[in-house]
Amino acid sequence: MHAPIPITRLDQARAAAGECVHFGFCTAVCPTYILDGEENDSPRGRFVLIKEMLASKAPPRRATVVHLDRCLSCLSCETSCGAGVNYRVLIDIAREYVESSRVRSLPDRLFRSGVAALLTSPRMLRGLRILGKPLSGLVCALPGRLGALGRLANAPGLAAFSPRGAPVLPAPCSREAPSPQLRSVALLEGCAQSVLGAEINCAARRVLARAGVRVVESRGNFCCGAMKLHLGFREQAIKQAARCVRHWGEMLAAGAIDAIAVTTSGCGSVIRHYDELFADDAELGQAAASVARAARDISVILAELPLPLANTNSGALVAYHDACSMKHGQRITREPRALLRKMGYVVADIAEGHICCGSAGTYNILQPEMSARLGQRKAANIEAIAPDVIAAGNLGCLIQISRFAEYPVAHTVQLVDWASGGPAPRGLEGFVPRPLAQEASAEVPAAEANGDNSAFW
Amino acid sequence: MANEESIRAFVQAVSGELGSEAISTGEEVLTRYGEHTLPGPDLRPAAVAFPDSTQAVQKLVLAANRYRVPLYPISTGQNIGLGSRSSVRAGQVVVDLGRRMSRVIEVNEALAYCVVEPGVTFQAMYDELVKRKSKLMISATAGPPQGSLLGNALDKGGGSGAYADHFGTLCGMEVVLGSGDVIRTGDGSLESASHLNWHVSKYSFGPYLEGLFTQSNYGIVTRAGMWVMPRPPHIESFFFTFPDDTDLHQIVDLIRPLKLSNFVPTQIRATNDLYLIAADCVHPEYGQSGGKKQITDEARRALQKRYGLGSWTVSGAFYGASRQAVQPQLDRVIAHFTRSGKGRFIALEEANEIAPLRISMNSYEGVPGEGELKMLRWRPGGGTIWFLPRTPMIGSVANEFHLASRGICRDHGLEYMVSNVCGPRFARGVHTLVYNRGDAEETARADACYRALALEFAGKGVFVGRAPTAYQGFHQGQRMSAFVEACAAIKRALDPNGIIAPGKYGID
Ligand SMILES: Cc1cc2nc3c(=O)[nH]c(=O)nc-3n(C[C@H](O)[C@H](O)[C@H](O)COP(=O)(O)OP(=O)(O)OC[C@H]3O[C@@H](n4cnc5c(N)ncnc54)[C@H](O)[C@@H]3O)c2cc1C
Ligand code: SF4
Repeated sequence: MHAPIPITRLDQARAAAGECVHFGFCTAVCPTYILDGEENDSPRGRFVLIKEMLASKAPPRRATVVHLDRCLSCLSCETSCGAGVNYRVLIDIAREYVESSRVRSLPDRLFRSGVAALLTSPRMLRGLRILGKPLSGLVCALPGRLGALGRLANAPGLAAFSPRGAPVLPAPCSREAPSPQLRSVALLEGCAQSVLGAEINCAARRVLARAGVRVVESRGNFCCGAMKLHLGFREQAIKQAARCVRHWGEMLAAGAIDAIAVTTSGCGSVIRHYDELFADDAELGQAAASVARAARDISVILAELPLPLANTNSGALVAYHDACSMKHGQRITREPRALLRKMGYVVADIAEGHICCGSAGTYNILQPEMSARLGQRKAANIEAIAPDVIAAGNLGCLIQISRFAEYPVAHTVQLVDWASGGPAPRGLEGFVPRPLAQEASAEVPAAEANGDNSAFW
Repeated sequence: MANEESIRAFVQAVSGELGSEAISTGEEVLTRYGEHTLPGPDLRPAAVAFPDSTQAVQKLVLAANRYRVPLYPISTGQNIGLGSRSSVRAGQVVVDLGRRMSRVIEVNEALAYCVVEPGVTFQAMYDELVKRKSKLMISATAGPPQGSLLGNALDKGGGSGAYADHFGTLCGMEVVLGSGDVIRTGDGSLESASHLNWHVSKYSFGPYLEGLFTQSNYGIVTRAGMWVMPRPPHIESFFFTFPDDTDLHQIVDLIRPLKLSNFVPTQIRATNDLYLIAADCVHPEYGQSGGKKQITDEARRALQKRYGLGSWTVSGAFYGASRQAVQPQLDRVIAHFTRSGKGRFIALEEANEIAPLRISMNSYEGVPGEGELKMLRWRPGGGTIWFLPRTPMIGSVANEFHLASRGICRDHGLEYMVSNVCGPRFARGVHTLVYNRGDAEETARADACYRALALEFAGKGVFVGRAPTAYQGFHQGQRMSAFVEACAAIKRALDPNGIIAPGKYGID
C-alpha cells in the first residue's frame, strides 16, 4: 500500500500523541472547531484519528482524511497546550502517511501535486501568470478549487507586492557593520514570494543596507521545502531543504554570512526546525542544525539594528496580523510590534489573534469554503480597527486578507523601509503624517491634558 | 442518575423544541466532556446541550424537570484542576453555555461595566475592548484565556489588578432557576422596561440573592454585569525576590500595610519558586525518582539560581499617569521590601527576561495569556488538583500554614507550589498539586495529599474557598450540619426536583 514511514518517526509521532493528557485547552483555540463545533475537527479529535490511523497500518479511512485535510497546521493548539504536545510532528507524519497510502483519487492527487509544483517553481508560476491573465475572469468564476486558485491569483493585495517599474536599488551600505555578530546575511528569496511578492525582498535589501548589513547573494533561488512538507510530500521536501542546507551551511561554515534573514514566516517556521528534519542524516545533520540556528525572521534582525527615521509614516495605524507560522510556529510576537512602534507606527492588535486567517500555505486553494469563512472573520475583526494598513510577516496571509478586507496590505519590512526613507507601500502614497501621542508628563496623562475627563490618574 | 429511557426521551424532546444542534450524544462528545484531571475515573455525561438563549435554557430546564434529568451547567469548562468540563457525577447532562451564548451584551464606558453571556472569555472580552477602542480593561487571570469571565466569577475566581475580586465585581444577574422560573436579581427585578441600576448597584431593595448562585446548584446564570476598570495610562509592575522559605513570615507582614491602606492598588502576590519556575521547565528529577519523592532542596536551589529567583517572589503593580508619576511610590515600596536586607528588587528590564515574570506582567496589564498553563506539565500524566484555602494576613500564621503544607507535600512525594494572592486581610493560598494521573500509585498519593492538606487547614480553623468537583462533597461534610441543611432547604425551594447539578458543592 504505502511507502513505509521509518519506525523512529512513527515512534516520535506515538510519543507526541502519548503526551496528550486531555486538558482540552486546545479545542477552544482551534479554528475549525470554533467554526463548526465538530469534535473530529478539533485537535483532540484529530489526535485520536491519527493514533488510530498509525496503529492500524492500513490505508486511512475516508473520514480520517477529510478531518485531517481540514486542519490548517496553524499550530494554535500547540501554543495553548499545557502538556507541551508537539502537534507539528504529529500532523506532518499524518499527512505523509495519507499521501503515501495513495487513497486519494487520481484527479485529487494530480491537483495537489500540481499546486505544489506550481507554487514552488518560480519559472512555472511566472509563466502561468502571463499565460493565465486572459483567462483569469473565467477561472475565477469556476466553483471549487480551480476557482479558488483563480480568485487567489486575482487577490487585490498582489499588486502591493509586485516590483516597481523602475527597480529601486538598495542603498549602498552606508554604515559600519552594526555589530560584529551581524555583518552580513543571506536573504531567503522564497519561491512563490520571489514572483508574487518581489517588492518585499527589495524592501528588505534597502533596510538592511541602511542598517549597515550586507546581503550576500545566493547562487540561485532555492525552495526551503515548507510547502511540500505541509502537503505531506516529505521526501520531495527534504530534497529541496537539503539544497538549502548545503548552500547556507557552506556559507555559514566559511564565515561568509552571520545569519539567514527570512521574510516569509511560513518558510521560517520550517527552516528553524531543519535540525529535526535532518536529525537522522549523518551527512547533513550538523549543517542543518547550524542553518536552523542562523535563520532569523527579518523583524527579529531589524529589532536590534539602528535605523534612521524618515517620519513620513508617523502615526500611521497598523493592524498587525500574527501569521500562525510566526506566532505559533516560531513564537515571535513581541519583536515585530516593538519594531513597528520604534519606527513611528501606532500598532493595534487584531481581535482573535489566535485564529488563523485561512491562508495556511495551500489551504485557501484546497479548502476554499472553510478558508473563506476564516478570511471573512479576520476581515471583520480588522474592520473594527479601521487601520491605515494591515501588516504581517507572511505574504500568504496578506494576500488572503486582502481578498476580504478593504485596506492596504504591506509586509512588516515594507513598513520599516518606508519609515526609514524608502518608498511608501502601495495604497499609502498619499498618507499625511500625524503627530504621535505625546509622552505623558510626570503628573498629567496626555488625554487629561487634552480635556478628556473620563478617567483621572 | 436518570435512567436511559428518560435520557432518550429528554434528548428527543430537546431536539424537537430547540433543534438537533442544541443537544448531542455523539460518542466523541460524551468522551471529551467527561474528561478531567482529578483523581478518580472520568465522568461521562449522558448528553451535552448547547442552548443559544435564556429562553432555550429555560426550555431545557423545563424539559429536564419533565423527564427528571439532571443538568450540569458550564460556561466554557476550562476549569482545569477543578473539574474541567465534566459534571460532578457521571450521567448528568452537561449544559455547555459557552458554545452558543457568547455575546457581549453591553459595554458601558461611562460607568465602567460590561454585561456578558457565559461564553464570553477573558480573551474575547479583552479583544472586544480593544476593538471598541475602549478606555476600560479587564482583570485577567493567569489561567486559560479561553475561560469564561462569568464562569470564573461564579466560582469565586480571582484575577490580577485592582479588580481582582471577580466575585466582588459581579453585579446584576439573569438566572434560570431549577424550577424553570427566570429571575433578574437586584434592581433588575423591578417590573419596569428599563433598569438603570441593575449593573451598577448591589444596594437594591431586599435580600442580596446573587451570592446564592455562586458555587451552588440553585440556578443557571444566563447573563451578568461585571465591573471593569478604566485602563491606566501607565502600569508599572514590580518584583522582589526573597531567598529563604521562612521569609514568607516577613513578606506577609510587609504586604499587609500596603494593602490595608491601598497604597498598592493591585492585589500583591507572594509566589514560591516552583509555582513560578514550573511554567518554564519540567521536574528535573522525575525520571530519577519515578515521581516518588518531592524534588530535592539541592535541585530546587539549582533552579532558583538558573532563574535568578529566591524561595518567594513578590509582585504587584502601580497605576499612574506615567512612569515618572509612579516612581515615588515605587521608591517607597523598594525601600519597604529591601529594608531587612533580604528582599532584592528585580528591575523591569531584568524581569522581562525571566519568562515566568513576564506572565505576571501581562496579567497586571490585563492581557490574558497561556504562559502559566505550561506549569501543568511539571510532572507527566496530566494530573492537576487545585487546593484553595485562605489564610489571614498575619506573617506568623501564614508561615505556620506554609511549613505544614510543605511538610505534607513532602510526605506525599509531591512538590509544594503555591501563590499567595494577598489582599488587606486575607490571602488566597492558590496551591497546585501536579501529579501523574497515568500512575495509580501517584494518583492515590495526590488524593491523600489533598485530603491531608484540607484536614490540616480545617484543624487550624481554615476552610477552603473553592474546590474541585471531586472534593466538594467531602468539604460539605466538614461543615456544621445546620448549614448543610440550610443549603438543602434552599435547594428544595428553588429546584424542587433537584434538576441542577445534584451534588455540586455538596448540595443535594
Ligand atoms: C494554570 C491555571 C491557572 C489558573 N489561574 C487562575 C486564576 O488566577 N484565578 C482563577 O480564578 N482561576 C484560575 N484558574 C482556574 C480556572 O481555569 C478558571 O477559573 C476557569 O477558566 C473558570 O472559567 P470556566 O468558564 O472554565 O468555568 P466553568 O468550568 O464553565 O465553570 C466554573 C464553575 O462555575 C459553574 N458555572 C459556570 N457557568 C455557570 C452558569 N452560567 N450558571 C451556573 N453555574 C455556572 C460551573 O458549574 C463550575 O462549577 C487557573 C487554571 C489553570 C489551569
Ligand atoms: S493545527 Fe490549527 S486547525 Fe489543526 S488542529 Fe491545531 S488548532 Fe486546529
